Amino acid sequence: MDKMVKKYNAFAILDHWVLALSCIVLAVQGFGFLFHIESVGSFFGGFESMRMWHNYLGIAFSVSLLCSLFLFLKESLTFDADDIGWIKVLGGYLSHKVTVPPMGKVNTGQKFYFLGLVVFGAGIVGSGLVLWLMADNKIYVMYSHLIHNISFVMLMILVPAHMYLGSLANPGTFRLMIYGTAPYWWAKKVSPKWISEVEKEHKA
Amino acid sequence: MARMGILVSPELCIGCRACQVACKSWNQLPGDKTINRGGFENPPDLTPHLYNRIHYLEVPSEKDATRWLFLNQRCMHCDDAGCMKICPAPGALYRTKEGAVGTNKDKCIGCKLCAVGCPFNVPRYDEKDKISKCHLCFDRIANGLQPACTKTCPTGALKYGDRDGLIAAAGKVGYGKLYGQSDLGGLGALYAFKDAPKLYGMNEKPAIPETVVFWHKVLKPLSFIGLGGVVAASLVHYVAFGPHKIKEEEEVRKDG
Repeated sequence: MDKMVKKYNAFAILDHWVLALSCIVLAVQGFGFLFHIESVGSFFGGFESMRMWHNYLGIAFSVSLLCSLFLFLKESLTFDADDIGWIKVLGGYLSHKVTVPPMGKVNTGQKFYFLGLVVFGAGIVGSGLVLWLMADNKIYVMYSHLIHNISFVMLMILVPAHMYLGSLANPGTFRLMIYGTAPYWWAKKVSPKWISEVEKEHKA
Repeated sequence: MARMGILVSPELCIGCRACQVACKSWNQLPGDKTINRGGFENPPDLTPHLYNRIHYLEVPSEKDATRWLFLNQRCMHCDDAGCMKICPAPGALYRTKEGAVGTNKDKCIGCKLCAVGCPFNVPRYDEKDKISKCHLCFDRIANGLQPACTKTCPTGALKYGDRDGLIAAAGKVGYGKLYGQSDLGGLGALYAFKDAPKLYGMNEKPAIPETVVFWHKVLKPLSFIGLGGVVAASLVHYVAFGPHKIKEEEEVRKDG
């Protein structure tokens, strides 16, 4: 058995699952509304009932998104020279041969992804609340409808890319979502700066 | 079936409001409690229980102290209907075979987006937040009858019939181009205005809000093009570059 290192605690794992599942279901419902997909509507008990599900699942999404701020925001706003190096080699995503600068707990792409998620997540949550609670104000609803859909388009680009990179493209990452742990040698290779921090703490 | 429509001739209207009453009668709509506002116009705006109404306008006149205009306000049954575009619930707003925009309260989800899509400020919502507006008496016209309002109009200010026929008939009595003849793909309610539509408080160039058009033309297709694009790109990436495998052996060798 490999020596394991704990990267995410139970709270982070649970939060990510709530965020991920609510996001997927909300997106499916969103496509149902956008393109009048009767089968999606029927699955949720008709479109009126789907609207209710959409609203309440939106709360699960917003709460888990809010929690994720405490987990990832600080890290995602910290950039250094290695991040510029990462961008220069495009994170090694387009070639496995290039040397990628040493990364911390998350890499530069993941930082950008999280910031995008926060911006468009806030957009979709805020506008969603207006559409739900202030439906009588036509001007508010008009702009909220626009913001809701712009955010939806952006999230539908960001989220599937994140899903692919966090599973098929990088074997070994998906177990983090379930156990929160990774083999020590693997983490040392993927997140060397974070591992050295962990080692320092361990010694202290 | 040929597209049917209503020709509104404000010059023939005497402001009796029989159309309002007939509509309420056929559609079994309760009366609205209103207040005396010192005029004949009542209620002051369309309500969830008032699908059409006569708008009384007093405008300056050369001959008399004032001139009265009577404008029948209702759903215009646009060909390019903003309400139908934006509606997320299939079947809540639908096109009847006569070309009207029908409503189905059972399918309405009460999101009130149609009010945003409408260029004429028509949709209203009942106690259950369901869409409430003129549906051109879809139940009557489907059975070969005419809508309650046109049936009852004593002066012919409201005429129901074949839309092209109505346009031709208005042309014969001297109306060149009707209001709504080509706006928004052609309105189902055509107005034979003697003066500029602005005098009647009507928008010269009615249009669906730009945000709604942008959403419909750009964002809607982009949502699945974006998703499909990322899925396709992921597949190509997987085939072209393959998964990024990290080998333990190398590590061991380096450590050693």
